[in-house]
Amino acid sequence: MSQWLLVIIIVLIGAWYLSFTATRLDRLHHRVETSWANLDVLLQKRAAVALEIAHSDIADPASSVLLTAAAYQARDADIQNRSQAESGLSGALGLLLEDSEHLETAADSALLTELSALTDKVRVAIAIHTDAVARTQMVRRKFIVRLFRLAGTAPLPITYEFEADVL
Amino acid sequence: MLTRSLKIGIVCPYSWDTPGGVQNHIRDLAEFLISAGHDVSVLAPAIDEAKLPDYVVNAGKPISIPYNGAVARVLFGPVAFARVRQWISQGDFDLLHLHEPAIPSISLLACWAADGPMVGTFHAAAKRQKIIFAIGPILEPAIEKLSARIAVSEAARLTLTDHLDTDAIIIPNGIYAKRYAHGKLQEKWSGNTIGFIGRFEEPRKGLSVLVDTLPVISRFAPDVKVFVAGPGDPEEVIKSIDPQLRHRFEFLGRISEEDKADFMSSVALYVAPNTGGESFGIILAEALAGGACVVASDIPAFDDLLGHGEFGALFASENPTDLAKVVIDLLRDESKRKKLADRGKIHAQLFDWTVVAEQIYSVYEMSIVGSEKVRLASDTRPWNRFLNKEEKP
Repeated sequence: MSQWLLVIIIVLIGAWYLSFTATRLDRLHHRVETSWANLDVLLQKRAAVALEIAHSDIADPASSVLLTAAAYQARDADIQNRSQAESGLSGALGLLLEDSEHLETAADSALLTELSALTDKVRVAIAIHTDAVARTQMVRRKFIVRLFRLAGTAPLPITYEFEADVL
Repeated sequence: MLTRSLKIGIVCPYSWDTPGGVQNHIRDLAEFLISAGHDVSVLAPAIDEAKLPDYVVNAGKPISIPYNGAVARVLFGPVAFARVRQWISQGDFDLLHLHEPAIPSISLLACWAADGPMVGTFHAAAKRQKIIFAIGPILEPAIEKLSARIAVSEAARLTLTDHLDTDAIIIPNGIYAKRYAHGKLQEKWSGNTIGFIGRFEEPRKGLSVLVDTLPVISRFAPDVKVFVAGPGDPEEVIKSIDPQLRHRFEFLGRISEEDKADFMSSVALYVAPNTGGESFGIILAEALAGGACVVASDIPAFDDLLGHGEFGALFASENPTDLAKVVIDLLRDESKRKKLADRGKIHAQLFDWTVVAEQIYSVYEMSIVGSEKVRLASDTRPWNRFLNKEEKP
């Protein structure tokens, strides 16, 4: 009799643990999606600002061409090439900003202020996103998660290699 | 900064009545957010409910537990858990900001009970402890629910990554830099003077290191005076000082914020000889903002805040000989003092609330997605949804 009770208790605890882990994983997937959505919006904004800078007086013709190309590449890149394209844009912006300390008009410096505010936000968004991805991957590697296929059909999140030092 | 008015719930783990860095941080942050047009509710344990500001909700009487080399007044238990749940379900918050969610407190309870946009701030810096390997698996699923983690310094971030294997964004503690910017030079505190502010009775504040240095300093600067401000009973400390040097010390007791500003702009040197347990060093930021030339021990938090010596002089922690060397060198060289203080004052603007709150707010923005609100986690579990449906006719 008591053996049966024990079995029932173990099964109940097991069921609770499975449900708990499934909820946890679901929440993590949600975090990965939302943090990526955030990052994506910010990166799109950054590309837009980069284009504006390319068309303004801040950029000389040569850097303007470079910047425009990089911005379009970043905008159109598919998910696999995204991080590389964004790093390219960071590099192009970095090159331009290195020697733009002396600015004539207020409109130009407003653009640069906007860019630096965006860059700060992008940095935070990257940190939040990579953390969510790392955690999700960690939980999905657990034996019990793989055994019971708790992740369902959700794709395994990809780690993005953003070069934080360039930004 | 205001894009839309948010309903923000902040949880303070420590007793609101006891003075402390975390409490001050939360008070200033809450008041800043309120002045920016947000609706803020702070849940905190408190002993005396009558003295609470109207944005603070009392969670109950705190209990004292030893934690990180000091006594922490926190609160937990089933009754507190029920209060936390009630606060969350009635608050209808857009976002929760939990402070120090990794210690047993109402912050952890809130993290456990809530579901939705949550931000956690980690203040403490501690050495790696074995105990965490036992409680880690319990904490991790809760801490993981935070959509973003903030650490107040590099030291606090390292503590977090060491213990819980998760990363954080660094956003420093805030100060109202303007309050300290226009201190008046007070005759009584100027000259060859050294300032110290803090609860000097606590050994980790390191006043004894400064006391040990004085015989050497007074040989090179015979007119040196040390002003010690802060709450506490000076009796014990005075006993430990060489009788011939006792008249070099003056205990001022607790001083007001205005006096603090004057103090910082008057003393020749501000010395922070803390031996550890410090994770940010808000007093250093205030000293820099007040235009003081700062000398601090090279514990990680101070080393970081002072830019490895660029914005203030550092000495080897708990080493009176090294402290004496640095102090004497600076007392003799006024232009060097001035240069350090000027650089420091500019640097301190980075810790001003206008900058810091902006950074915190942008983390809030990234944690809030759509119009999703904070709910009780139990409401979203399938079996509870089922039960609730049964109850309602």
